[in-house]
Amino acid sequence: MNETTFEIKATGSVVEGVTLPDLDPAEDYKGYRGYSRAVLEATGARVWCEVKATTDQGDFVGILLPRSETADDKHLVMKLTYNGYNVGIKSESIQHIEVLGYRKANYKIPEKEFPKDPVKPNVILLGTGGTIASRLDYRTGAVIPAFSPGELYGAVPELADIANMNTKKIFGEFSENIGPMHWKKVAEAVAAEIETGNVNGVVVGHGTDTMHYTAAALTFMVQNLPCPVVVVGSQRSSDRPSSDAAFNLLRAVKTAAEGDFGEVMVCMYGPTSDSYGLLHRGTRVRKMHSSYRSTFRTLSDTPIARVSQDGFVPIKEEDAFIHRDMSRKPVLNTAFEEKVTLLWYYPNMQADIVDAMVDAGYKGIVIAGTGLGHVNRPLFPALRRAVKAGVHIFMTVQTLWGYVQMYVYDTGRDIMEIGVTPLANMLPEVAYVKLGWVLGQTQEPAEVRRMMTTPVNGEITEREPFDGYLVFQGGLPELEDYFKYHQV
Amino acid sequence: MNGNSGNQTDWKQHGFRCGLEIHHQIHTEKKLFCHCPAGKYSDHYDAEVLRHMRPTLSELGEYDGTALMEFKTKKEIIYRLNRETVCTYEMDDTPPFLINEEAIDIALTIAQAFNCKIVGELHIIRKQYLDGSIPGGFQRTAIVGVDGEFPLSNGKMIHVIQLGLEEDSCREVSDNGHRIVFMADRLSMPLIEVVTECQMETPEEAQEAAMRISRMLRATQMVRRGAGAGRQDVNVSIEGTTRVEIKGVPAISRIAELTDYEAHRQRGLVALSEELQKRGFTPGEKPGRVVELDLNGLRFNNPDLAAAVQVRDSVRVAVFPDAKGILSWPLYGRRFADDISGQVRVVACLDMLPNLLHTDGPSGGLDEADTAMIEKLTDAGAEDVAVVVWGPEEDTVTATNEIIDRYAQAIAGVPNETRQALNNNWNDFERVLPGPDRMYPDTDSPPHEIAPERVEAAKEKVPVAPWVREEMYREQKLPEDIVDLLPITAYAPLHDKLVSEKTVDPMRSGELLARMMTALQRREYPVEALSLDQLEDLLRAMGAGRVYREGLFDLLQHWVDHPQLSLDEMLEHLEWTRVDDTELTAVVKEAIDLAKGEGPRLPENVFAMAMGHAMDIVRGRVASSVVREKMTEMLGL
Repeated sequence: MNETTFEIKATGSVVEGVTLPDLDPAEDYKGYRGYSRAVLEATGARVWCEVKATTDQGDFVGILLPRSETADDKHLVMKLTYNGYNVGIKSESIQHIEVLGYRKANYKIPEKEFPKDPVKPNVILLGTGGTIASRLDYRTGAVIPAFSPGELYGAVPELADIANMNTKKIFGEFSENIGPMHWKKVAEAVAAEIETGNVNGVVVGHGTDTMHYTAAALTFMVQNLPCPVVVVGSQRSSDRPSSDAAFNLLRAVKTAAEGDFGEVMVCMYGPTSDSYGLLHRGTRVRKMHSSYRSTFRTLSDTPIARVSQDGFVPIKEEDAFIHRDMSRKPVLNTAFEEKVTLLWYYPNMQADIVDAMVDAGYKGIVIAGTGLGHVNRPLFPALRRAVKAGVHIFMTVQTLWGYVQMYVYDTGRDIMEIGVTPLANMLPEVAYVKLGWVLGQTQEPAEVRRMMTTPVNGEITEREPFDGYLVFQGGLPELEDYFKYHQV
Repeated sequence: MNGNSGNQTDWKQHGFRCGLEIHHQIHTEKKLFCHCPAGKYSDHYDAEVLRHMRPTLSELGEYDGTALMEFKTKKEIIYRLNRETVCTYEMDDTPPFLINEEAIDIALTIAQAFNCKIVGELHIIRKQYLDGSIPGGFQRTAIVGVDGEFPLSNGKMIHVIQLGLEEDSCREVSDNGHRIVFMADRLSMPLIEVVTECQMETPEEAQEAAMRISRMLRATQMVRRGAGAGRQDVNVSIEGTTRVEIKGVPAISRIAELTDYEAHRQRGLVALSEELQKRGFTPGEKPGRVVELDLNGLRFNNPDLAAAVQVRDSVRVAVFPDAKGILSWPLYGRRFADDISGQVRVVACLDMLPNLLHTDGPSGGLDEADTAMIEKLTDAGAEDVAVVVWGPEEDTVTATNEIIDRYAQAIAGVPNETRQALNNNWNDFERVLPGPDRMYPDTDSPPHEIAPERVEAAKEKVPVAPWVREEMYREQKLPEDIVDLLPITAYAPLHDKLVSEKTVDPMRSGELLARMMTALQRREYPVEALSLDQLEDLLRAMGAGRVYREGLFDLLQHWVDHPQLSLDEMLEHLEWTRVDDTELTAVVKEAIDLAKGEGPRLPENVFAMAMGHAMDIVRGRVASSVVREKMTEMLGL
């Protein structure tokens, strides 16, 4: 509805023989408001109409497109018929709009039936959102996810060479909107699919921003896996020819179908080149770059293996990862305490921050401390008060790589004395997820500490390999080449 | 009448139509969508990235034909990255930054130079290219202006459909088989694109229109110069055909010949289509079948096939019924089989030529024995023609499919294609002509409003059209080289001002501003160091008789190296003080003595030698005519 009325000089007409469907203002004026909306109403033109717009600037022939809701109310967007370009036309300059036709976009990935081959392994793809397959959303001008086995086959037919695929959409959320409720649903779906006995592996399609939180949550919530559970997404949306989505999906499906693994992993680009993917343990992986394809890195450890169309190249020793064993039955435990937080320490952090959390009823705090696991002294009284109030506090390191080592300096010893428990080399985000999961099961301090410091699958490791601090892990150029170029 | 080069085809009668897409890099400090420096090229690279391309749907839900074709080629694409000129944007690992505002301002000026109307809002669009030339798989491009025009010398107005601002693509390094290599340094350099209506009715008109666009661009002083800064695509059609695009025309001077060849090729294809239809084939029909040869025990005389048998390549044959004379159908110097071969080269990546052989006459490359054997192996009848390809199994399958497709297209006429200009004015298949389906809104970039004040400010910078100035300069009786040069220099407005004020003689001004400055520029003197004010001072000094043309070039050579000096300071530095009659008499006397001392063989040589010596001393300070007069007087001639 337009609040203000506008005086519109523009007129409209419809070419004979063209009939428009019944008016649906939400769709037919999509994204238009204010003056622009008034021009459309006055001239009878609608979104998806092919029109000839006569303006002070000459004539424009094209399809009237929906407008992004965040854009201004002074322009109409048209896709010009003869060349496919979009242009914005000043609404005020419009004198007349003649409707020539109506052509609603039928945006659909060509759907073909996914071929079934009884000899091939079965893989289930669970959808949670993200851009493994996507289409354009005119409301926001952004891409929205779309997928079904048929669409996937239409977009990435090579999938059929690897496995028989089924898909299930659990929900459709952008990565940043995903939280504990969603982790539970995915965990339940993973367990349920495996329990059917019909799948050789599970792929979870996921937005990349919080993929590593979900991978950690799945590791804790569904244990004793018989087969791989592979979390995958894309850094370049699949509406681009150069998207990494197809390769990521192919490698994830190959891992789920054939990989000799029995744990939760993230499968994303190794280097930025289209050459191979890396399989990262779900508890040791982190998104490290806002836009690079090869954004996921294993921290303080090496990835489990490389995967490409040609197969797997293990990076870890045979006994350092869990192998496939289809006789295992998954154990589901989706308990979660949501009153848990992650506190990123910075110099001069004030005690009132910690106090505020305690007063807000938080039951667990993971601190990402400086260096070996430190916070400043003025915070000590607040930490003491928190522990006394029954809040469970754990220490991780904001260096991300390396162990918490609280015996090295007095500060560390003092913090432990207050009742803060060091979490070795557990990543801060993983510690946050795990603390929520543990506190969902018990509030008993000793038991919470025991569970937190006993690894489920690699979130704490006894040893850090010398190459666990491999920042580049298939970066560009590869580490060896990098040193060669720089003659270090 | 017409002025076609080398032949007398009346193209107007054949419905010749040509349109232009002129691309030119514009002069900005940084690239269009990131902050890398613009205009730096080097063959050095620090890293390589491997990528592939996959077609996506257009926003209207359709696949683009070109995109699908390029996907069929299954290329490995290598990008070479130079640390200085490439960041994570060019390698498609970072979304675009906001569009370069300097580039928008330049595009607004150029759009208005062609009288285009400016759009209210810039929408950045992705134009798909799956050939790998852009790592993202699409070029970011936007329309800045539409509906402009400019005149040809015969008075005909040429309609400018649109003026676009877009990012440049990578430079191709090599393309062998399934592997193509690009340098990424040129990627994302800002380009403008001028697109005209298909209105030019002869090859000469097309060439003139391209020349006028190019000169207008240079006249703005806002475009880059040098090899590769400008590139033109030419669309050609004749009666009964739709457009074929010739891409990458390297020089405007070749447009007439290239379009002439293309129009002839199309005439040949139209005749071929008529012949095929006469033989009973109908458009839409796909005649032909494919046979894979069992190579066991085969012996070919043809060396390529003999080698293929030895290395166990796959050999496939497409057999066409009633096709005698079709494959060898002449296309103005080439044959229909050459058109097919081009498509096989690109799509099937069989790029060692010849990449096909056929049984339709001697041009097919097969002798009688080979022809007979292939006909027998494929059950080909007397009127059938077999086309043979060899290579890796997968590629020969693609190749025979393409051959069947291309043959079917010939029944209908001339396929819409993008063709690559060749050195001899011929052209060869590059890709299927892309359509509107490859356009997709750039979801990474917001719409960009263009304020009216900004449009006005940009309009102020539109230069007088070179063709208008050319006429003016002819009226000033300037020689043609200056008429040609001066309108596209930055100095034309200064010339016009001083000439209209009658401060300086047009010829003197033209010599300085066009000839000398251009000559200095070509010798890589930093001429832009001298400001218009400084040149104005110089021209005024010439007009006032303080500086004479004979010394100008020396003066300029020194001045560009010391641009911080004013004209007076420069003259002082060169000790170019005024020469009065007494000094001149002394100089001339000394010069005569010197010349005589050198022992001239003939008395008349003394004059020339002495003139030389005298001018060495007073060049630029006294008109040579005055020196000559004095010399004549003192020699008593």
